[in-house]
Amino acid sequence: MYRLSRLRYVFPLGLFAALFLDGSLSKIFAGFFFHYPYAMVSQLVIVWLVCSYFFEGDIQIPLIGFSVVAGIFCDLYYSGILGLFMFLYPMVVGLTKLLAKYITSSFPMIVLVFLIDLTVFELFNYWAYAAVGIAKVGLGGFLLDTLLPTLLLNLVYLLFLYFPLQKLITWAADIERR
Amino acid sequence: MQKFFSNRRLVITVVILVVCFGLMGGSIAMRNRRSTPPLIQQFGNDIAGFADGIVAYPVNAVQGVADSVSGLMNAYTENRELKQKVSELAQVKVRDQTLAKENKQLKAELKLKNSLTDYSTVSAAVMSRTPSSWQQQLVINKGQTSGIKKNMPVLSGGGLIGRVAEVNKTNSKVELLSDTSESSNRFSIVINGTDGKSVNGIITGYNARTNELIMGQVTSTAKIKKGAKVVTNGMGGITPKGLYVGKVSRIGKDDYGLAKKVYIKPATNFNEINIVTVAELND
Repeated sequence: MYRLSRLRYVFPLGLFAALFLDGSLSKIFAGFFFHYPYAMVSQLVIVWLVCSYFFEGDIQIPLIGFSVVAGIFCDLYYSGILGLFMFLYPMVVGLTKLLAKYITSSFPMIVLVFLIDLTVFELFNYWAYAAVGIAKVGLGGFLLDTLLPTLLLNLVYLLFLYFPLQKLITWAADIERR
Repeated sequence: MQKFFSNRRLVITVVILVVCFGLMGGSIAMRNRRSTPPLIQQFGNDIAGFADGIVAYPVNAVQGVADSVSGLMNAYTENRELKQKVSELAQVKVRDQTLAKENKQLKAELKLKNSLTDYSTVSAAVMSRTPSSWQQQLVINKGQTSGIKKNMPVLSGGGLIGRVAEVNKTNSKVELLSDTSESSNRFSIVINGTDGKSVNGIITGYNARTNELIMGQVTSTAKIKKGAKVVTNGMGGITPKGLYVGKVSRIGKDDYGLAKKVYIKPATNFNEINIVTVAELND
Protein backbone atom coordinates (compact mmCIF):
# COMPACT_ATOMS: atom_id res chain seq x y z
CA MET A 1 0.00 0.00 0.00
CA TYR A 2 1.61 3.21 -1.23
CA ARG A 3 -0.35 5.36 1.17
CA LEU A 4 0.89 3.53 4.23
CA SER A 5 4.56 3.38 3.40
CA ARG A 6 7.26 5.98 3.88
CA LEU A 7 7.53 6.09 0.10
CA ARG A 8 4.63 8.51 0.02
CA TYR A 9 7.08 11.14 1.29
CA VAL A 10 10.33 9.76 -0.01
CA PHE A 11 9.28 9.20 -3.61
CA PRO A 12 7.95 12.69 -4.45
CA LEU A 13 10.82 14.33 -2.57
CA GLY A 14 13.37 12.28 -4.45
CA LEU A 15 11.65 12.98 -7.75
CA PHE A 16 11.72 16.72 -7.24
CA ALA A 17 15.28 16.70 -5.94
CA ALA A 18 16.24 14.81 -9.10
CA LEU A 19 14.39 17.33 -11.28
CA PHE A 20 16.09 20.34 -9.75
CA LEU A 21 19.48 18.69 -9.57
CA ASP A 22 19.33 18.04 -13.32
CA GLY A 23 19.18 21.79 -13.89
CA SER A 24 21.64 22.72 -11.17
CA LEU A 25 24.23 20.16 -12.22
CA SER A 26 23.88 21.27 -15.83
CA LYS A 27 24.64 24.80 -14.70
CA ILE A 28 27.56 23.98 -12.41
CA PHE A 29 29.28 21.50 -14.69
CA ALA A 30 28.31 23.31 -17.90
CA GLY A 31 31.94 23.41 -18.99
CA PHE A 32 32.13 19.64 -18.69
CA PHE A 33 28.63 18.67 -19.83
CA PHE A 34 28.53 20.93 -22.86
CA HIS A 35 32.18 20.79 -23.88
CA TYR A 36 32.18 21.01 -27.68
CA PRO A 37 31.36 18.81 -29.55
CA TYR A 38 29.78 16.70 -26.82
CA ALA A 39 26.58 17.41 -24.95
CA MET A 40 25.60 15.34 -21.95
CA VAL A 41 22.01 15.50 -20.82
CA SER A 42 21.67 14.91 -17.11
CA GLN A 43 18.66 12.66 -16.46
CA LEU A 44 18.57 11.90 -12.76
CA VAL A 45 14.78 11.78 -13.12
CA ILE A 46 14.97 8.62 -15.20
CA VAL A 47 17.45 7.10 -12.74
CA TRP A 48 14.96 7.79 -9.96
CA LEU A 49 11.93 6.50 -11.88
CA VAL A 50 13.59 3.28 -12.99
CA CYS A 51 15.09 2.57 -9.56
CA SER A 52 11.76 3.28 -7.88
CA TYR A 53 9.99 0.86 -10.18
CA PHE A 54 12.43 -1.97 -9.53
CA PHE A 55 12.88 -1.46 -5.78
CA GLU A 56 9.33 -0.61 -4.76
CA GLY A 57 8.55 -4.25 -3.96
CA ASP A 58 4.85 -4.87 -3.42
CA ILE A 59 4.06 -1.19 -3.18
CA GLN A 60 2.67 0.29 -6.31
CA ILE A 61 3.78 3.87 -6.63
CA PRO A 62 1.51 5.78 -9.04
CA LEU A 63 4.53 6.24 -11.30
CA ILE A 64 2.63 7.30 -14.41
CA GLY A 65 0.92 10.17 -12.61
CA PHE A 66 4.12 11.39 -11.03
CA SER A 67 6.03 11.13 -14.28
CA VAL A 68 3.40 13.26 -16.03
CA VAL A 69 3.83 15.91 -13.31
CA ALA A 70 7.62 15.73 -13.65
CA GLY A 71 7.27 16.03 -17.42
CA ILE A 72 5.04 19.09 -17.22
CA PHE A 73 7.54 20.64 -14.83
CA CYS A 74 10.41 19.98 -17.25
CA ASP A 75 8.44 21.43 -20.15
CA LEU A 76 7.48 24.57 -18.28
CA TYR A 77 10.59 25.32 -16.33
CA TYR A 78 13.47 24.04 -18.42
CA SER A 79 12.51 24.07 -22.06
CA GLY A 80 9.59 26.51 -22.10
CA ILE A 81 7.97 24.40 -24.82
CA LEU A 82 4.99 22.50 -23.53
CA GLY A 83 4.08 19.04 -24.73
CA LEU A 84 7.11 16.81 -24.98
CA PHE A 85 8.43 15.60 -21.64
CA MET A 86 4.92 15.26 -20.24
CA PHE A 87 4.52 12.34 -22.64
CA LEU A 88 8.09 11.08 -22.71
CA TYR A 89 8.48 10.43 -18.98
CA PRO A 90 5.29 8.31 -18.76
CA MET A 91 6.46 6.52 -21.88
CA VAL A 92 9.73 5.65 -20.15
CA VAL A 93 7.77 4.27 -17.19
CA GLY A 94 5.57 2.24 -19.53
CA LEU A 95 8.60 0.91 -21.36
CA THR A 96 10.26 -0.08 -18.09
CA LYS A 97 7.14 -1.97 -17.06
CA LEU A 98 6.99 -3.69 -20.42
CA LEU A 99 10.64 -4.73 -20.36
CA ALA A 100 10.48 -5.81 -16.73
CA LYS A 101 8.14 -8.62 -17.76
CA TYR A 102 10.92 -10.28 -19.74
CA ILE A 103 13.84 -9.98 -17.33
CA THR A 104 14.86 -10.92 -13.83
CA SER A 105 15.42 -7.99 -11.51
CA SER A 106 19.18 -8.35 -11.24
CA PHE A 107 21.76 -5.56 -11.33
CA PRO A 108 23.00 -6.04 -14.93
CA MET A 109 19.45 -6.43 -16.23
CA ILE A 110 18.29 -3.24 -14.55
CA VAL A 111 21.26 -1.40 -16.02
CA LEU A 112 20.32 -2.78 -19.43
CA VAL A 113 16.69 -1.67 -19.08
CA PHE A 114 17.88 1.75 -17.95
CA LEU A 115 20.10 2.14 -21.00
CA ILE A 116 17.29 1.06 -23.36
CA ASP A 117 14.92 3.53 -21.65
CA LEU A 118 17.40 6.34 -22.00
CA THR A 119 18.15 5.57 -25.64
CA VAL A 120 14.47 5.51 -26.56
CA PHE A 121 13.89 8.68 -24.52
CA GLU A 122 16.69 10.59 -26.22
CA LEU A 123 15.73 9.31 -29.68
CA PHE A 124 12.14 10.47 -29.27
CA ASN A 125 13.35 13.75 -27.81
CA TYR A 126 15.65 14.30 -30.79
CA TRP A 127 13.02 13.26 -33.30
CA ALA A 128 10.33 15.55 -31.88
CA TYR A 129 12.65 18.54 -31.48
CA ALA A 130 14.02 18.01 -34.99
CA ALA A 131 10.45 17.93 -36.30
CA VAL A 132 9.56 21.28 -34.72
CA GLY A 133 12.89 22.80 -35.72
CA ILE A 134 14.75 23.10 -32.42
CA ALA A 135 17.35 20.39 -32.90
CA LYS A 136 19.41 21.15 -35.97
CA VAL A 137 22.01 18.41 -36.03
CA GLY A 138 22.05 15.35 -38.26
CA LEU A 139 21.23 11.90 -36.94
CA GLY A 140 24.89 10.88 -37.02
CA GLY A 141 25.92 13.90 -35.03
CA PHE A 142 23.16 13.26 -32.54
CA LEU A 143 24.13 9.61 -32.02
CA LEU A 144 27.80 10.36 -31.57
CA ASP A 145 27.81 13.72 -29.79
CA THR A 146 24.66 13.61 -27.70
CA LEU A 147 23.39 10.07 -27.24
CA LEU A 148 26.70 8.40 -26.45
CA PRO A 149 27.95 10.96 -23.90
CA THR A 150 24.46 11.09 -22.36
CA LEU A 151 24.38 7.33 -21.94
CA LEU A 152 27.84 7.41 -20.37
CA LEU A 153 27.02 10.18 -17.93
CA ASN A 154 23.77 8.62 -16.79
CA LEU A 155 25.38 5.20 -16.56
CA VAL A 156 27.88 6.71 -14.13
CA TYR A 157 24.96 8.21 -12.18
CA LEU A 158 23.25 4.82 -12.02
CA LEU A 159 26.38 2.92 -11.02
CA PHE A 160 27.01 5.35 -8.17
CA LEU A 161 23.42 5.59 -7.05
CA TYR A 162 22.23 2.01 -7.56
CA PHE A 163 23.05 0.61 -4.14
CA PRO A 164 22.26 3.75 -2.10
CA LEU A 165 18.92 4.05 -3.88
CA GLN A 166 18.22 0.35 -3.42
CA LYS A 167 18.77 0.75 0.32
CA LEU A 168 16.75 3.95 0.52
CA ILE A 169 13.76 2.77 -1.48
CA THR A 170 13.55 -0.67 0.10
CA TRP A 171 13.74 1.01 3.51
CA ALA A 172 11.02 3.45 2.56
CA ALA A 173 8.89 0.70 1.06
CA ASP A 174 8.50 -0.94 4.47
CA ILE A 175 5.02 -0.35 5.76
CA GLU A 176 5.24 1.52 9.03
CA ARG A 177 4.10 -0.56 11.94
CA ARG A 178 2.55 1.29 14.74
CA MET B 1 3.98 -6.71 -31.35
CA GLN B 2 0.67 -7.69 -32.97
CA LYS B 3 -1.00 -7.46 -29.63
CA PHE B 4 0.78 -4.25 -28.71
CA PHE B 5 -0.55 -2.33 -31.66
CA SER B 6 -4.16 -3.37 -31.26
CA ASN B 7 -6.73 -0.94 -32.63
CA ARG B 8 -7.33 0.81 -29.35
CA ARG B 9 -3.63 1.25 -28.60
CA LEU B 10 -3.03 2.60 -32.08
CA VAL B 11 -5.79 5.18 -31.71
CA ILE B 12 -4.44 6.26 -28.33
CA THR B 13 -0.90 6.55 -29.73
CA VAL B 14 -2.07 8.68 -32.63
CA VAL B 15 -4.12 10.91 -30.33
CA ILE B 16 -1.12 11.39 -28.03
CA LEU B 17 1.11 12.22 -30.98
CA VAL B 18 -1.36 14.80 -32.27
CA VAL B 19 -1.77 16.38 -28.82
CA CYS B 20 1.99 16.37 -28.29
CA PHE B 21 2.86 18.11 -31.55
CA GLY B 22 -0.15 20.42 -31.27
CA LEU B 23 0.99 21.57 -27.85
CA MET B 24 4.58 21.99 -28.95
CA GLY B 25 3.66 23.93 -32.07
CA GLY B 26 1.23 26.03 -30.08
CA SER B 27 3.69 26.91 -27.37
CA ILE B 28 6.46 27.74 -29.82
CA ALA B 29 4.12 30.03 -31.75
CA MET B 30 2.95 31.61 -28.49
CA ARG B 31 6.54 32.07 -27.41
CA ASN B 32 7.46 33.86 -30.60
CA ARG B 33 4.44 36.10 -30.64
CA ARG B 34 3.53 37.07 -27.11
CA SER B 35 5.64 39.13 -24.76
CA THR B 36 4.73 36.95 -21.78
CA PRO B 37 3.57 33.34 -21.57
CA PRO B 38 -0.05 32.62 -20.54
CA LEU B 39 -0.80 33.26 -16.88
CA ILE B 40 -1.12 29.61 -15.96
CA GLN B 41 2.29 28.88 -17.45
CA GLN B 42 3.79 31.82 -15.56
CA PHE B 43 2.21 30.56 -12.37
CA GLY B 44 3.69 27.10 -12.86
CA ASN B 45 7.08 28.58 -13.57
CA ASP B 46 6.98 30.81 -10.51
CA ILE B 47 6.15 27.88 -8.24
CA ALA B 48 8.91 25.86 -9.87
CA GLY B 49 11.33 28.74 -9.48
CA PHE B 50 10.53 29.05 -5.81
CA ALA B 51 11.06 25.34 -5.21
CA ASP B 52 14.22 25.39 -7.31
CA GLY B 53 15.64 27.98 -4.95
CA ILE B 54 15.55 25.45 -2.14
CA VAL B 55 17.72 23.04 -4.13
CA ALA B 56 19.71 25.55 -6.19
CA TYR B 57 20.98 27.84 -3.42
CA PRO B 58 22.82 25.17 -1.41
CA VAL B 59 24.23 23.62 -4.59
CA ASN B 60 25.36 27.01 -5.83
CA ALA B 61 26.87 27.76 -2.43
CA VAL B 62 28.98 24.60 -2.70
CA GLN B 63 30.09 25.72 -6.13
CA GLY B 64 30.92 29.13 -4.68
CA VAL B 65 33.18 27.54 -2.06
CA ALA B 66 34.91 25.40 -4.67
CA ASP B 67 35.42 28.47 -6.85
CA SER B 68 36.88 30.44 -3.96
CA VAL B 69 39.36 27.67 -3.19
CA SER B 70 40.54 27.50 -6.79
CA GLY B 71 40.58 31.30 -6.86
CA LEU B 72 42.88 31.31 -3.85
CA MET B 73 45.32 29.05 -5.67
CA ASN B 74 45.72 31.51 -8.51
CA ALA B 75 45.57 34.60 -6.35
CA TYR B 76 49.27 35.43 -6.37
CA THR B 77 49.91 35.52 -10.12
CA GLU B 78 46.55 37.10 -10.79
CA ASN B 79 47.19 39.80 -8.24
CA ARG B 80 50.43 40.81 -9.94
CA GLU B 81 48.72 41.17 -13.30
CA LEU B 82 45.71 42.95 -11.90
CA LYS B 83 47.79 45.53 -10.01
CA GLN B 84 49.16 46.75 -13.32
CA LYS B 85 45.69 46.99 -14.78
CA VAL B 86 44.28 48.84 -11.79
CA SER B 87 46.64 51.77 -12.21
CA GLU B 88 45.57 52.11 -15.83
CA LEU B 89 41.94 51.68 -14.94
CA ALA B 90 41.87 54.52 -12.42
CA GLN B 91 42.90 56.91 -15.16
CA VAL B 92 40.26 55.53 -17.53
CA LYS B 93 37.58 55.73 -14.87
CA VAL B 94 38.24 59.37 -14.06
CA ARG B 95 38.21 60.24 -17.74
CA ASP B 96 35.02 58.25 -18.15
CA GLN B 97 33.34 60.18 -15.36
CA THR B 98 34.41 63.49 -16.82
CA LEU B 99 33.12 62.53 -20.22
CA ALA B 100 29.84 61.27 -18.82
CA LYS B 101 29.34 64.56 -17.01
CA GLU B 102 30.19 66.55 -20.09
CA ASN B 103 27.86 64.36 -22.13
CA LYS B 104 25.05 65.03 -19.69
CA GLN B 105 25.61 68.78 -19.85
CA LEU B 106 25.70 68.75 -23.63
CA LYS B 107 22.52 66.70 -23.76
CA ALA B 108 20.83 69.18 -21.45
CA GLU B 109 22.00 71.97 -23.75
CA LEU B 110 20.41 70.19 -26.70
CA LYS B 111 17.27 69.44 -24.68
CA LEU B 112 17.90 65.77 -25.41
CA LYS B 113 16.38 63.57 -22.75
CA ASN B 114 17.71 60.06 -23.16
CA SER B 115 19.80 58.62 -25.92
CA LEU B 116 20.60 55.04 -26.84
CA THR B 117 23.47 54.84 -24.39
CA ASP B 118 21.31 55.53 -21.33
CA TYR B 119 20.33 52.30 -19.76
CA SER B 120 19.72 50.89 -16.32
CA THR B 121 20.62 47.40 -15.19
CA VAL B 122 19.10 44.62 -13.12
CA SER B 123 21.40 42.00 -11.62
CA ALA B 124 20.22 38.43 -11.25
CA ALA B 125 21.64 35.08 -10.20
CA VAL B 126 21.55 32.07 -12.46
CA MET B 127 19.51 29.27 -10.87
CA SER B 128 19.83 26.49 -13.38
CA ARG B 129 20.47 25.59 -16.96
CA THR B 130 18.25 23.61 -19.32
CA PRO B 131 19.52 20.04 -19.31
CA SER B 132 19.35 19.67 -23.06
CA SER B 133 21.83 19.48 -25.88
CA TRP B 134 19.83 21.73 -28.17
CA GLN B 135 18.54 24.53 -26.02
CA GLN B 136 21.20 26.72 -24.46
CA GLN B 137 19.04 28.38 -21.85
CA LEU B 138 19.59 29.70 -18.35
CA VAL B 139 16.95 30.31 -15.71
CA ILE B 140 17.57 33.51 -13.76
CA ASN B 141 15.92 34.59 -10.53
CA LYS B 142 14.41 37.92 -11.60
CA GLY B 143 11.26 38.49 -13.63
CA GLN B 144 8.50 40.97 -14.40
CA THR B 145 8.42 42.22 -10.82
CA SER B 146 12.00 43.44 -11.22
CA GLY B 147 11.18 45.14 -14.49
CA ILE B 148 12.51 42.52 -16.86
CA LYS B 149 10.84 42.30 -20.25
CA LYS B 150 11.16 39.95 -23.15
CA ASN B 151 14.05 40.47 -25.61
CA MET B 152 16.15 42.54 -23.23
CA PRO B 153 19.89 41.96 -23.68
CA VAL B 154 21.72 40.05 -20.96
CA LEU B 155 25.36 40.60 -19.99
CA SER B 156 27.78 38.68 -17.86
CA GLY B 157 31.50 38.88 -17.14
CA GLY B 158 31.74 42.14 -19.07
CA GLY B 159 30.21 40.94 -22.30
CA LEU B 160 26.91 40.24 -24.00
CA ILE B 161 25.70 36.67 -23.49
CA GLY B 162 22.18 36.56 -24.88
CA ARG B 163 18.65 37.83 -24.55
CA VAL B 164 15.61 37.22 -22.40
CA ALA B 165 13.43 34.62 -24.10
CA GLU B 166 10.61 34.18 -21.59
CA VAL B 167 9.51 36.25 -18.61
CA ASN B 168 7.51 35.07 -15.64
CA LYS B 169 6.66 37.01 -12.51
CA THR B 170 9.73 36.04 -10.50
CA ASN B 171 12.05 34.26 -12.91
CA SER B 172 12.93 34.31 -16.57
CA LYS B 173 14.72 32.32 -19.19
CA VAL B 174 17.76 33.61 -21.03
CA GLU B 175 18.67 32.26 -24.43
CA LEU B 176 22.45 32.27 -24.88
CA LEU B 177 24.16 33.55 -28.01
CA SER B 178 25.37 30.00 -28.57
CA ASP B 179 21.81 28.71 -29.02
CA THR B 180 21.08 27.54 -32.54
CA SER B 181 17.62 29.10 -32.78
CA GLU B 182 17.27 31.86 -35.35
CA SER B 183 16.42 34.70 -33.03
CA SER B 184 18.83 34.13 -30.18
CA ASN B 185 21.90 35.87 -31.56
CA ARG B 186 20.53 38.48 -33.97
CA PHE B 187 22.07 41.53 -32.34
CA SER B 188 22.84 44.69 -34.22
CA ILE B 189 26.53 45.44 -33.79
CA VAL B 190 29.21 47.86 -34.89
CA ILE B 191 32.97 47.50 -35.37
CA ASN B 192 35.25 50.51 -35.61
CA GLY B 193 37.66 50.22 -38.51
CA THR B 194 41.21 51.54 -38.45
CA ASP B 195 40.51 54.20 -41.06
CA GLY B 196 37.86 56.00 -39.06
CA LYS B 197 34.95 54.28 -40.79
CA SER B 198 32.77 51.93 -38.83
CA VAL B 199 31.04 48.78 -39.97
CA ASN B 200 27.45 48.15 -38.93
CA GLY B 201 25.86 44.75 -39.18
CA ILE B 202 24.17 41.97 -37.31
CA ILE B 203 25.36 38.77 -35.75
CA THR B 204 24.22 36.09 -38.15
CA GLY B 205 25.46 32.90 -36.56
CA TYR B 206 27.58 31.08 -34.07
CA ASN B 207 30.38 28.64 -34.75
CA ALA B 208 30.32 26.14 -31.90
CA ARG B 209 33.54 24.45 -32.95
CA THR B 210 35.70 27.53 -32.54
CA ASN B 211 33.39 29.42 -30.14
CA GLU B 212 33.08 32.39 -32.47
CA LEU B 213 30.17 34.63 -33.35
CA ILE B 214 29.80 35.39 -37.04
CA MET B 215 28.89 38.73 -38.56
CA GLY B 216 27.96 37.88 -42.10
CA GLN B 217 27.38 39.80 -45.33
CA VAL B 218 29.78 42.63 -44.63
CA THR B 219 30.24 44.59 -47.86
CA SER B 220 31.82 47.67 -46.34
CA THR B 221 35.36 48.47 -47.46
CA ALA B 222 36.39 49.78 -44.06
CA LYS B 223 39.57 48.23 -42.76
CA ILE B 224 38.94 46.03 -39.74
CA LYS B 225 41.87 44.91 -37.68
CA LYS B 226 42.11 41.68 -35.74
CA GLY B 227 41.44 42.46 -32.10
CA ALA B 228 39.09 45.37 -32.81
CA LYS B 229 36.36 45.69 -30.19
CA VAL B 230 32.79 44.85 -31.15
CA VAL B 231 29.87 46.61 -29.45
CA THR B 232 26.12 46.80 -29.98
CA ASN B 233 25.01 49.81 -32.00
CA GLY B 234 21.61 50.37 -30.44
CA MET B 235 19.57 49.88 -33.59
CA GLY B 236 16.26 48.15 -33.11
CA GLY B 237 15.30 50.12 -30.05
CA ILE B 238 15.51 47.42 -27.39
CA THR B 239 19.24 46.92 -27.02
CA PRO B 240 21.21 49.92 -25.74
CA LYS B 241 24.21 51.22 -27.64
CA GLY B 242 27.68 50.30 -26.50
CA LEU B 243 27.31 46.88 -24.89
CA TYR B 244 30.55 44.99 -25.30
CA VAL B 245 30.26 41.82 -27.40
CA GLY B 246 33.82 40.68 -28.00
CA LYS B 247 36.88 41.07 -30.18
CA VAL B 248 37.42 40.37 -33.86
CA SER B 249 39.37 37.14 -34.13
CA ARG B 250 39.63 36.75 -37.91
CA ILE B 251 38.09 37.94 -41.13
CA GLY B 252 37.11 35.63 -43.94
CA LYS B 253 35.18 35.58 -47.20
CA ASP B 254 31.63 34.28 -47.42
CA ASP B 255 30.78 31.21 -49.50
CA TYR B 256 30.55 33.13 -52.77
CA GLY B 257 33.54 35.40 -52.22
CA LEU B 258 31.43 38.53 -52.57
CA ALA B 259 31.15 39.71 -49.00
CA LYS B 260 33.25 39.47 -45.89
CA LYS B 261 32.55 37.40 -42.83
CA VAL B 262 33.85 38.72 -39.55
CA TYR B 263 34.49 36.23 -36.77
CA ILE B 264 34.13 37.54 -33.23
CA LYS B 265 35.48 35.95 -30.07
CA PRO B 266 32.83 36.54 -27.37
CA ALA B 267 34.03 38.26 -24.20
CA THR B 268 32.37 35.74 -21.89
CA ASN B 269 32.66 31.98 -21.62
CA PHE B 270 29.07 30.81 -22.03
CA ASN B 271 29.67 27.79 -19.81
CA GLU B 272 30.75 29.71 -16.72
CA ILE B 273 27.92 32.08 -15.92
CA ASN B 274 26.76 32.63 -12.35
CA ILE B 275 25.62 36.24 -12.20
CA VAL B 276 24.02 38.10 -15.06
CA THR B 277 23.04 41.71 -15.70
CA VAL B 278 19.94 42.54 -17.70
CA ALA B 279 20.15 45.89 -19.47
CA GLU B 280 17.06 48.03 -19.94
CA LEU B 281 16.98 51.02 -22.23
CA ASN B 282 15.66 54.14 -20.49
CA ASP B 283 12.74 55.79 -22.26
